[in-house]
Amino acid sequence: MTSEATVRALYTDMVTARYYEERLQEEYLEGKQPAFDISAGPIPGELHLAAGQEAAAVGVCHHLREDDVVTAPHRPHHVAIAKGVDLKRMTAEIFGRETGLCSGKGGHMHLFDPDVNFACSGIIAEGCPPAVGAGMAAKKRNTDSVAVAYLGEGAIDQGGFLESLNLAAVHDLPVVFVVEDNDWAISMPKERVTDVESAATRADGFDMPGLRVDRDDALAVYEAGAEAVGRARDRNGPTVLSVQVHRRMGHFMGDPQSYRSDEDQAAATQRDSIERMETDLHAHGLGDDAIETMRETAHDRVDDAIAWAKEQPTPDPDRAYEDAFVNPPSGVTDTEPDFDLAETGGEEP
Amino acid sequence: MIDRELTMSRAIVEAIGSEMRDNDEVFYMGEDVADYGGIFDSTQGLLEEFGYDRIMDVPISETAYLGAAVGAAQQGMRPIAELMFVDFFGVAMDQIYNQMAKNTYMSGGSVSVPMVLTTAVGGTYSDAAQHSQALYGTFAHLPGMKVVVPSTAYDAKGLMHNAIRDDDPVVYMYHKRLMGLGWLPAPEGPKTPVPEEEYTIPFGRADVKREGADVTVVTLGLHVHRALDAAAELAADGIDVEVIDLRTLVPLDRETVIESVEKTGRLVVVDEDYRSFGLTGEIVSTVADEALDALEAVERVAIPDVPIPYARELEQEVQPDAGDIETAVRNVR
Amino acid sequence: MSDDRVPVVADGAWTDDVDEEEGVVVNWFAKAGRHVTVGDSLCELQVEKVSVDIDAPTDGELVEIVRGENAEFSIGDTLAWIEPEG
Repeated sequence: MTSEATVRALYTDMVTARYYEERLQEEYLEGKQPAFDISAGPIPGELHLAAGQEAAAVGVCHHLREDDVVTAPHRPHHVAIAKGVDLKRMTAEIFGRETGLCSGKGGHMHLFDPDVNFACSGIIAEGCPPAVGAGMAAKKRNTDSVAVAYLGEGAIDQGGFLESLNLAAVHDLPVVFVVEDNDWAISMPKERVTDVESAATRADGFDMPGLRVDRDDALAVYEAGAEAVGRARDRNGPTVLSVQVHRRMGHFMGDPQSYRSDEDQAAATQRDSIERMETDLHAHGLGDDAIETMRETAHDRVDDAIAWAKEQPTPDPDRAYEDAFVNPPSGVTDTEPDFDLAETGGEEP
Repeated sequence: MIDRELTMSRAIVEAIGSEMRDNDEVFYMGEDVADYGGIFDSTQGLLEEFGYDRIMDVPISETAYLGAAVGAAQQGMRPIAELMFVDFFGVAMDQIYNQMAKNTYMSGGSVSVPMVLTTAVGGTYSDAAQHSQALYGTFAHLPGMKVVVPSTAYDAKGLMHNAIRDDDPVVYMYHKRLMGLGWLPAPEGPKTPVPEEEYTIPFGRADVKREGADVTVVTLGLHVHRALDAAAELAADGIDVEVIDLRTLVPLDRETVIESVEKTGRLVVVDEDYRSFGLTGEIVSTVADEALDALEAVERVAIPDVPIPYARELEQEVQPDAGDIETAVRNVR
Repeated sequence: MSDDRVPVVADGAWTDDVDEEEGVVVNWFAKAGRHVTVGDSLCELQVEKVSVDIDAPTDGELVEIVRGENAEFSIGDTLAWIEPEG
């Protein structure tokens, strides 16, 4: 049986992530009603929330160290929380504030926390190649760190994912591809767009192991994650890990989900991984009070982060022109070298 | 006095080899770069010294390997990743312009991408529409990547040293006909004396390859040499042409162009990329923005807005040559 | 002219890879007057599709280039002379 400490840690991050998404949903909709104007309110733009997908995040990330690299897609908050991203600065970034992780330049889809090697990006499947590159760097440097790329089941048809599988396989790289299968690519159900039932099947075609966790169960993901991350860390190559999750909210905030049947939406809110975890905590001897305390502590942490973020200053508009480069435009030098180029084309002798 | 000359490809290889010797974290990845030494000789001879781990052949998977270079660079390594023909950017542009070029900015400067993207550009040898493009404008237009276009061996080596050491992503575009390949002979000009030691040339410094008083010709890459040929012809008629080699597009040395036009009043811009919405328009508008009073006449010489055709007669029609440059210079006087 | 001069010859193991006897000097890298070290790449020849570097056979000064860029040669021809040191 998984240790009590582990179950507590998994549960804590899961309820943190769940509550975080619920709170962001409230904050996001502020200022956008009664008529939904996407550019209005304290969190403008798009917002993709991961309520219901927490198991996939904690089950793998709790095997990772700070020096392990994680890339995540446009629905990243639960993964960021599980990876140990600075929650206050992440929240400030989502609110577009100057002291956010990216000085307000990235927003919710482009969160970068180099201290814990986390990055997310908004183009489907395009986080996979950089994760492969991080694995390549680890191999070249002879360290035992690993790279994990998160993607949705809709992304397994994108070329970038398929190319990444091959490149990771042919060079035997320490990479884990975690596919969060929530059945829906915005409004397209999986069976209408993909010919295989699970991403794990893709792995067969690329000469690597494909694992599946077909129920919303963080401990089952944790067990599969141990195998996948362990294989990478032992330098035995890449793995695809496909995890069944449920998308409790729309694809993006504002999505009316008219394409989803009532049954499907209701099923997503049935007994899920957090409820399962509470059963496991009971099995370790924790009572309802202890669980409630953990939940409240997690909620307080989220409320504090959001309150902090909302107090942060908005960016100075002049800063918009900065940070395209880290070095000066001229590169590592400012001066032309001083050679006698009497016969170089064009220079006068 | 420098008593040896190198072709442009050998100068590039010399810089890469030197940086790889100095720093274990520099490595080169691309298609056919190991045993073959690069289709355009970009890694010729390096495999023997550095082995397959550092001169890496990759599968035909541009998205995966260019993106892997981004990921390795973000971890602090210094990959040089080669896009065999610039025309192939289409299959991997997301990793180039949305990831490599934008991660520094989107992160507020907290991550950097110290990689070099090398790529072969240019036509004039009947390789048709999908293998003959220059695409300078496409890469210069999108923010977040430095863009370098050497025209001589001397410039190529100094710019490559800077590109590898720079912590920002650099797109290094080398013209196939300037490399000095046996099967694609170079004109006179790109093979120059090259110092044996390491040296860096700053980005954003155009080089006046020929001083002149009458007309300013601004250009880059192969057309620096075609412009110099035209200038030699025109000198016989007493027309004194100033030839400016831009050397880098991002950052762009607008000052040198403006200074020259303030002297001559007459501007010809020559580009091997498509005419509309590109480099020639950018140079002309730079002068219009900042030196309109000085400008008396202007003409653009570029590939017209059609895909590059195959038949020799057709390609020669669309490719600017020394004759076209000469005509343009005479037109602005 | 010293009799000690060493010829740089258009010959080598590469001749096994080609059927033709003639080729072109496509590039000279070292200029006359340059001090060269054994193994330095002096010039590049092309025979059919094969490109090959000709290296300095000895240390010394490259005193005379006999066949310059774009000159044709036959296998075995002297391309240049080196005055060896010592």
